[in-house]
Amino acid sequence: MRKLSILGWILAFLAFVGMVDSAFVAINSGQHFIIPCRIAKGCDEVLNSPYARIGGVSIAWGGVFFYLCISTSGIFAAFEFPGALRFTLLISLAAFAFTLYLLYLQVFVIHAFCDYCLLSATLVTLILICHLAVRPWRPLL
Amino acid sequence: MNTGSNSNRNGARKARRTSLSRSLVKPLAVSIMWVSVALGTALFLVHYSQGDDSSPKPTTAADTTKPSPTAKGWVRGNPAAKTVLVEFADFQCGSCGLASKTVGNLLKKHENDLLVVFKHFPLEVVHRNALIASQAAEAAGRQFKFWEMSELLFKHQVEWMNVPDAQTFFLNYAAELQLDLVRFQRDLWDSELRDKIYRDVLEGQLLQVNQTPTFFLNGTRIPTTKNESEFEQVIVEAIKKAK
Repeated sequence: MRKLSILGWILAFLAFVGMVDSAFVAINSGQHFIIPCRIAKGCDEVLNSPYARIGGVSIAWGGVFFYLCISTSGIFAAFEFPGALRFTLLISLAAFAFTLYLLYLQVFVIHAFCDYCLLSATLVTLILICHLAVRPWRPLL
Repeated sequence: MNTGSNSNRNGARKARRTSLSRSLVKPLAVSIMWVSVALGTALFLVHYSQGDDSSPKPTTAADTTKPSPTAKGWVRGNPAAKTVLVEFADFQCGSCGLASKTVGNLLKKHENDLLVVFKHFPLEVVHRNALIASQAAEAAGRQFKFWEMSELLFKHQVEWMNVPDAQTFFLNYAAELQLDLVRFQRDLWDSELRDKIYRDVLEGQLLQVNQTPTFFLNGTRIPTTKNESEFEQVIVEAIKKAK
């Protein structure tokens, strides 16, 4: 029980950071010419590339939705309602697969990296690891 | 008896439901608060990053000691306009592509009141094909198709930005614009055009341009972290003032 609660809060924390990250990019994207990038220096190429949008909408909004689901499910798990983790395990797997695709694009197609995308890739991986640690496919309580 | 046990069962169910809904209130409230704080933090960071312009601050009209860009270069709009927008740009920079669309839209709205001057600022260290792209635009310019080539370069940026043989793509664009390909190919490597590009770069460096796009409005640098509508507003205000 205690482990579940701790993992729930860890998930909520990771999702909090992810939500700030994705919302920052989503709001900035398309609104500004230059999105500040301090480490990888490739934000311009990545975030202004055609892969950064689907139907004109920044894919970062998808990230905001994903982290919103994870944070809600993590908080519910922390309050002993772990059922939602089964659903978020599935979307974490999908998000991880999509993250791999985005990394592939950055490495092999765009040849540039962006700080926000790398942070999000790390968070998605940690979120998946947390889900696997909870093992939500077995009875949780 | 049955009626009694049924009502007991119903009562127990009702109590369970009430306690469940009560216990759901807390995590739900925490979740809403959590999400609100996260989104609030993101909004604050967006606002903070807009104010955090590390580029030199705009010079004032009275400050004549600061250098300002010349109006030499590729121009669009009304040459007699009192409002002059100078842009230092790099064809391999995604932001410059976005900015060129915004500037294009502004020109459509204010074609009689605005003059746009384009200057090359290829960031060769980070953009491997930026210089050759500038040369392609200049080579097309010799056949009076600078702006058309610029548009194609920005539009198809992803295709050529990281390939070793970008000139193949530029030749295709030249063909699309129905240019004289033999002349275009010869001009593409013309050292005179390269010198012209480097003169723009030198001018930019003297003006402390360190990122692209960088805009100067009537000699005053506009912070590039402004959003599109703010950018447009600054230019519209300058046009109104000049009238």
